[in-house]
Order: sequence, then C-alpha cells, then structure tokens
Amino acid sequence: MKNTDKGNLNKEVNPVFDVAMEAGHILLQNGAEISRVEETMERICKYYGEEANDFFVLSNGIFTTGAYGTKNAYARVRHIPVKGARLDKVVAVNQLSREIEEGKYQQIDLVKEKLEEISNMPIEKSWQRILASGIGSGFFCVLAGGCFADCIAAFIAGIVLYIYVVFISEPYLSKILGNIFGGALIVTVCVLCFQLKIGTHLENIISGAIMPMVPGVAFANGIRDIADGDYISGAVRLLDAILRFLCIAIGVGVAFSIYQSMVGRIVL
Amino acid sequence: MIWELISAAVGTVAFSLLFGVPKKYYVHCGCIGAAGWFLYKVMLVNVGLSIAASVFFATVLVVLLSRYAAVFEKCPATVFMITGIFPLVPGAQIYWATYYLVTDNLYKAFDSGFLALKIMIAIVLGIVVVFEIPYKFFKIR
Repeated sequence: MKNTDKGNLNKEVNPVFDVAMEAGHILLQNGAEISRVEETMERICKYYGEEANDFFVLSNGIFTTGAYGTKNAYARVRHIPVKGARLDKVVAVNQLSREIEEGKYQQIDLVKEKLEEISNMPIEKSWQRILASGIGSGFFCVLAGGCFADCIAAFIAGIVLYIYVVFISEPYLSKILGNIFGGALIVTVCVLCFQLKIGTHLENIISGAIMPMVPGVAFANGIRDIADGDYISGAVRLLDAILRFLCIAIGVGVAFSIYQSMVGRIVL
Repeated sequence: MIWELISAAVGTVAFSLLFGVPKKYYVHCGCIGAAGWFLYKVMLVNVGLSIAASVFFATVLVVLLSRYAAVFEKCPATVFMITGIFPLVPGAQIYWATYYLVTDNLYKAFDSGFLALKIMIAIVLGIVVVFEIPYKFFKIR
C-alpha cells in the first residue's frame, strides 16, 4: 500500500485514527461486511477517546475525517483493491477489537504492532490448499450424486485446478482470464478422465470439480451488504461474484465446444 | 444418506481451509454444512418440497446455526455461513445450463439456468431473512 504519511513530519499526526484506518483496511481487504468495518473503526476511536470522526466505507476504499485537540484535523483516503478472502484475518481483527474494549491494550502502539502481525499472517501452505481443493471437489461430487469412480476423477480435477490457481492464475493472470482458463481446465481434465474410463457420469464429475472456483465470499458478503443498506458496496461485490460465475461458464462452454468438434458428435 | 452427510461435512471443512478459516472452527463449519445438507434432503425427499424451497429452508438453518455459533465463539458469523452454504450452491444446474447452451439446446438451457437462478434467490432470501432477526434474540441462549 502506498503510505504517504506526510503528517509524520510535524509529529502531530493522530495515531488513533491511523490504527483505526489500518484495522478497517485489513477487515475490508479480507472479506468483512461494510457494517463490521465501520463498527470496528468506530469502536477503536471511541475507546481511545476520539469521538469527533466520520467514516465512509465503500467496497474498495475508506474515507476518514476527524477532529482532535483544539484545531487539528485528520483527513485520509485509502484505496483498497478487491482481493481474495482470508477469513482468519477478519477473525483476528475482530478478536483484537474485542480485547481493546475489554481494556487489554492501554497503549496504542501495542495495537499497531498487533495489527502489523495480523496483516502478515502466513497463508496456508500451497500443498495444503491443493489437497483441500481436491478433497472438497471429490466429496462435493458425492453430493451431486456421483459414484466412487466419479469422485476419484473430481479429486484429480480439483488438484489440477488448484495447482493452476496457486502457480499460474493467482500470481500472473487477471481475474477474468484466470477464471475463463480455470473453467476450461476443469472441463479438459474431467473429459480426459472420462475418456480414460475414470468415472462414468461426466455431469457429476464437473459439478464437483467446479466447486473450488465458486466465489462464495463475494456472493455472501454482497448479499449481506445489500441487506444492511450498503447498496453501492453490495452491488460491486455481487457484480464481482456474477462476473466470476460468467467467466467460469464461458470457460466451460468453450472447452465443451472444442471437445465436441474434436469428437464430431454430441458428448454423453 | 450417512455417506452424503459425511461428504458434506468433509467437503465443507476442505473449503474452509481454502478460505483461511482458523483451524479451531473446522468442526463447527463441518457440522453446519452437514446440517444444511440434511435439512435440504429431508425437505426434498421426505416432505416433498421443490428444490428451491428446500434450499431456502436449508439456508435458513445454516445461517441460524452460524449466528448461534458466532455468539458462542465470539467471532463473525460470516466465517461459518460462507462455508456452510457451499453444499447448497447449484453447481450441477449451472453445469447443465452451460452444457445445453453449447449444444444448442436452448430450451433446456433456459430451464436449468432458470432453476439455478431460483436456487440462488432462495439462498439470498434465506440469508436476508435470518439476518433481519435482532441480535438480542441470539444473546439470550
């Protein structure tokens, strides 16, 4: 994040607002609802005695103004790009704000350190995520009505999919392209398994294998924001979810048509 | 049925890891996912409701349980809710819609696409309805 702390020059900058801003940033970036972000920032400011403030939180930005002392003003805008969800960070910040209210953090510097620690929390190891994707796909294939062999195929597809997500899509590709290729990759792997006689019901295999790509966090948060009356943020998040769904569907469709023209007849 | 419940639980836990849910909440997530799938199946097979209506009731249960778990564990309800509704997501319908669209079977494509949309709306309604319940209602227990 760009940190243009010009206020630091005169040493008069207010640390409370900075800490509140940082907490809001972590929450928003990792998939918390707008109302939770606002509430947490409010709580932190209130506990440390800064009551004259206003926050305006959107799905990708926080605007803060506040007044402190006799004639000092604080104003800051932060841009926060839409990113993937890390619910552990949301839980940690939530816990922190609870502990602040209980009075465990009398010094604001401690909170600052703790927030730094939270924002640097390590992501799960790659092999764990890849394995989890495979297991999830395999077991959701059972729910779609697949037999044992179908689940094996879905497991393979889930693993291949997340190897692609972790090593190619996340670091290098944009969201749109990444999802289109992801959808196409799922179909390719599933059709390959199907042709090699691993699994007998293509529709069940693909229904299971597609699950790790479903944008659950964006969808659920979008709905909650709209229910809370935060229409702009809710609409943006829902748009994000719908766009990803569409991209996956496009990828699946393209891969299907290619496969069909290769086989020369309708599959199944 | 037992196998399906186990699958729903394990699948939900696997996706919890993908979303970075803290490890101590895995058990909650798994149970909530399985409970949602159980109610969906009961409503669909035993009571005989339509798919969308069954999904609605299952979502209501999932979100209710999530809010209770959130109060007990003092952490955001989102953590349990997002993973809990995963088994109810209409993956199969979306698959059929795309498949029929590509194979120029527009009538059937519209059919499954519309069913997927109905299920989505059922999930949305379920979430909204339960979040309208005031917080104090959960606090008493």
